[in-house]
Amino acid sequence: MNPMNTASHPQQRQFNPYTENGGTILAIAGLDFSVIAGDTRQSEGYNIQTRYAPKVFRLTDRAVLAVNGFAADGNMFVKKVKQRLEWYRHAHAKDMPLHAIARLIQTMLYARRFFPYYVYNILGGIEDDGSGAVYSFDPVGSYERETCRAAGAAQSLVQPFLDNQIYFKNQQPALGTSHPAHLPLPQVLRLVIDSFTGATERHIEVGDGLEMFVVLAKGHDLAGLEGIAGLQEMSTKSDGERIFVIRRELKKD
Amino acid sequence: MNTFVNRFSTNNALSVIRKAQAVVDDDEEFSDAAWGSEAGFGSLAKGVPSFSIPAVHDPTAFLRLHTDDHADPNCRIKIQHGTTTLAFRFQGGVIVAVDSRATAGSYIASGTVKKVIEINPYLLGTMAGGAADCQYWETYLGIQCRLHELRNKERISVAAASKYLSNLVYSYKGMGLSMGTMICGWDKTGPAVFYVDSDGTRLKGDLFSVGSGSTFAYGVLDQGYRWDLTDEEAQELGRRSIYAAGHRDAFSGNTCNLYHVKEDGWRFLGNYDITKMHYDGPGDVPGSAQVAYGYDVRVEGRTSSNPPAAAATA
Amino acid sequence: MEYNGGSVIAMVGKGCVAIGSDLRLGNQALTVATNFEKVFPVTDRIYIGMSGLATDVATLREQFRFRVNMYTIKEEREIEPESFAHLVSSTLYERRFGPYFIEPVMAGLWKTQAGEYKPYIAAADLIGCLNFAKDFVVAGTASEKLFGVAEGLWEPDLEPEDLFETISQTLLNGVDRDAYSGWGAVIHVILPDKVITRTLKGRMD
Repeated sequence: MNPMNTASHPQQRQFNPYTENGGTILAIAGLDFSVIAGDTRQSEGYNIQTRYAPKVFRLTDRAVLAVNGFAADGNMFVKKVKQRLEWYRHAHAKDMPLHAIARLIQTMLYARRFFPYYVYNILGGIEDDGSGAVYSFDPVGSYERETCRAAGAAQSLVQPFLDNQIYFKNQQPALGTSHPAHLPLPQVLRLVIDSFTGATERHIEVGDGLEMFVVLAKGHDLAGLEGIAGLQEMSTKSDGERIFVIRRELKKD
Repeated sequence: MNTFVNRFSTNNALSVIRKAQAVVDDDEEFSDAAWGSEAGFGSLAKGVPSFSIPAVHDPTAFLRLHTDDHADPNCRIKIQHGTTTLAFRFQGGVIVAVDSRATAGSYIASGTVKKVIEINPYLLGTMAGGAADCQYWETYLGIQCRLHELRNKERISVAAASKYLSNLVYSYKGMGLSMGTMICGWDKTGPAVFYVDSDGTRLKGDLFSVGSGSTFAYGVLDQGYRWDLTDEEAQELGRRSIYAAGHRDAFSGNTCNLYHVKEDGWRFLGNYDITKMHYDGPGDVPGSAQVAYGYDVRVEGRTSSNPPAAAATA
Repeated sequence: MEYNGGSVIAMVGKGCVAIGSDLRLGNQALTVATNFEKVFPVTDRIYIGMSGLATDVATLREQFRFRVNMYTIKEEREIEPESFAHLVSSTLYERRFGPYFIEPVMAGLWKTQAGEYKPYIAAADLIGCLNFAKDFVVAGTASEKLFGVAEGLWEPDLEPEDLFETISQTLLNGVDRDAYSGWGAVIHVILPDKVITRTLKGRMD
């Protein structure tokens, strides 16, 4: 082709407003608590944009949202969810219940069915009946309540490990015993840390830092949280549900 | 909804709501959203959902570029695919059976998906194709069915409900919705099953199966189907068909959810692990012979590759 | 790799190695057979597993058998794992521009000067680039999932029975999240004096 002539040929351009910013999020529901975690690396291709970009956000005193995928969409989406929750608070003088937040997120995501938020959401917290709950979403709003879910770059590394360690898949209980239906908080935290150190080892988009949000049901004691390094309370009052965040370092290479 | 007729008609329900809204909107300087009363209803707050559309020449091509993983497996936004669902009509009502697997590429994203959507106590919808499309529009259908009940003081017929859904998705034809669903229920006419998909197809029939594993399910279903099946036989047939699909189709499996619709509405019968059915059978449930579904038990010690103990030692 | 599906894994233990595969042979989404083993003995103390295109798995299995026999005759001794790994690598590289569509995983024990046996594992890509890992190697459609579980479960110096449990749990839970692998599994634990082979009941969907 004549290089002088390129301008006369039709040129096609595509509108591509999306990119993938890596990272992984994870949430596990216990009997009366929830743990929602995410790493803090934000990357684009082989470049690390920042080593600290939070992906897990406190919504209310009993709801935490983790977002993964395209960071710009994620941050905007969290902002809009928080705005809707504040409107609800002003209209009803109470926080929106967790199952209602889940449905709200579905309708907000589906409103963008033809121009989706490129975001995978995991919502964790405490339900009205005091039970720990995790809701996971696809980018256009299909959702389901689960006990355990990993999403993002290393979901395929982390999820089968959790199937084995949380649901005891492919394990048979010793004769006359049975697998526990719910794990205690310290064990869940250990599994979360193991999952992320494992994912950091084998996936280039995971690492730098780990943020674990813990939501405890009303009246729950600290259940082994006291004395944990890097613990910080996030709740506004101490007589309702309580939220804590635990920060850990992950490998930075 | 975008149909020409709806937009300009003056006497259908939508225009009535729209007119009512226009009146309310005139009084108010701020939308309901500002006061939070629409919180929780999302885009449904106005009665009619509204959608953001990208500001490009061809929004449909834009969506396809980023979401259609059939054409391009590397596209970013993965929409769940792969399923087996079935429903059939018989003397004792309707049997609805589905698997519970969701895959994104080769990754099994979930093994606990609820692919039967409980629209109301008399109506069930099944889910194949886009999970969000099915969940959202069948929930929306539930709202409309309830409004129909309140307006007309009687339950909506399965035919009408399925036609409502079919017309709705048809108005979005070409926009990229993806759903293949069976609307099942019981009305004045008795048990009914309608197949509705996002192309606008709507079929009344006795027996349907939808999804990547549907061919396997049809194999078992056609073999065992009769109108005068007893309830127990029919339930067993549904389970056995989903098992067959789960075993042979890579994109179906994990568990089977079984529903039975009768005159007094639907009833959830149970959740059956497909691997457990393979090795041990479905357990002590009505219609089950309590024998493993897998062929291992039928060939054990009898085939050349797995000879009887005596032949093996000889 | 997705055409026939299937996955293999190998792990190092204390004075032993383990290698295993799933049993599925598919034609894309359709599962055709559930008794297709992908791990084969090379010597008494070396096994090779191959995931990928089934026809190439069968071809290469015979190719390797032929070449190992020729080596044994010429050298008048059994091949050592490291030499075998390089044999595999060069066999694959011969087809650099029209490769066999398989990813091999090798596991074996090599004899030291002192006469004791040390574990050895290796994997390669489809054109023979070797990867000598000290812990575990994986290949196939479930490789990512297997990496994730293995990273969480594996620890150094596992005794044979513990190694068997670790590789079994890794394989079963890994393939259960993969649409193209599974339908049962087989594990070989290689010890200096014997090989323990066990067929595992896995998910059949």
